[in-house]
Order: sequence, then C-alpha cells, then structure tokens
Amino acid sequence: MQLHRHRDEFEEAGARLAAIGQGTPRHAEHFIEEHGLDGMQVLVDPSRKTYEAAGAKIATVDEMWHPRIVARAAKATAGERIVQGRTKGHAAQLGGVLVVARDGRIAWARMADDVSDNPPTEEVLKAARGAADTG
Amino acid sequence: MPKLPRIPNPIGAAATRQTTNPPERADELADFVLQDHRGEDVRLGELWSDGPAVLVWLRHYG
Repeated sequence: MQLHRHRDEFEEAGARLAAIGQGTPRHAEHFIEEHGLDGMQVLVDPSRKTYEAAGAKIATVDEMWHPRIVARAAKATAGERIVQGRTKGHAAQLGGVLVVARDGRIAWARMADDVSDNPPTEEVLKAARGAADTG
Repeated sequence: MPKLPRIPNPIGAAATRQTTNPPERADELADFVLQDHRGEDVRLGELWSDGPAVLVWLRHYG
C-alpha cells in the first residue's frame, strides 16, 4: 500500500491520511523517517484488533505466494520503484483502506483480498474528495 | 486458480479462504486507542472529527 506517497494530494482533497501498522512505535518512527512523512499520523496496532474491526482478513498461502498473485503484485509496483518493506507481526495479515466521513459513515472501503490487491490511488482520492464535499 | 502444492505453513496463513468484512460505520473503530510513533495514545475517532479520514491498514512498512 503506497498511498502515503500521495499524502499532499489527500490533504488538498480535504482528507486526513493516516496509516496503521503492526509493530512498535519505533517501527512507525522509522517508517516516517524513511519516507519523509513528518506530520502524518502513523499508528501501531500489535494486537491487530483494528484490523479485525476494519474487516481485514488473513491470507491463505495461495493468496500470498501463488505465482499469479506474485506476478500481479510485481506488475502493480514495477512503475513506482517500490520495494516492499519488512513485514512486522503476523505475516499473513492483509490490510486495506477505509475512507471515513466526518459523521462516522464509511464512505468507501477496500480491504485487500490478497497481497496484490491495492486500490488505485485515484480511486481513493475520488472517494476522499466525495467525503469531503458531503461533509 | 490452480492450487499450489501443499507446503508448510509456518506463518499462520488461513487454512481456508476468508472474506473481507468492512463495516458500514466506524463507530466501533472510533473508540480504539492506538499509540503513535512517539508512544502517545491516539483515539481513532479523533482522526475524522474535523473532516474525512483515509485510514490505511498496512501489511508492511514500505
């Protein structure tokens, strides 16, 4: 998930971008330093309770390492010179994205179906703009 | 999709395919308190109190 690379665009859209990862505050601090994300909220959830509440799933072996999925993931990241960081915590835990409106409504959701399932940035930006426009 | 040969599962992968289940509202999520990179507590609901929030659950830091 590389949405943090587009943080300025989300701010311009009127939405706050925040990331939640497994691991410790030190891992989050390193992530911020490595990607120049000063000021962005990066939180840690080693218990993974919010992953569960967000509807994220645990991948099967096929959903992680099937050649078709590995190839799809490689294709999706090839153009952005992305190198996957080290996985912390539960290696089969998948992530995802929720756009939450000010009133607590989930305006848009895409929890990953396998390790290659990352939503297009423009699609998330469109949802964020829509949520900002409707208050 | 063709199945891979049976291989060891040391990482706790799911035995059977799961489905995602995102909520319709973030009321339950709002009450979670997580630490930030400084070890300070943040209530998730604060993130969208002034406007929409895009919450990204990371699989890895990268």
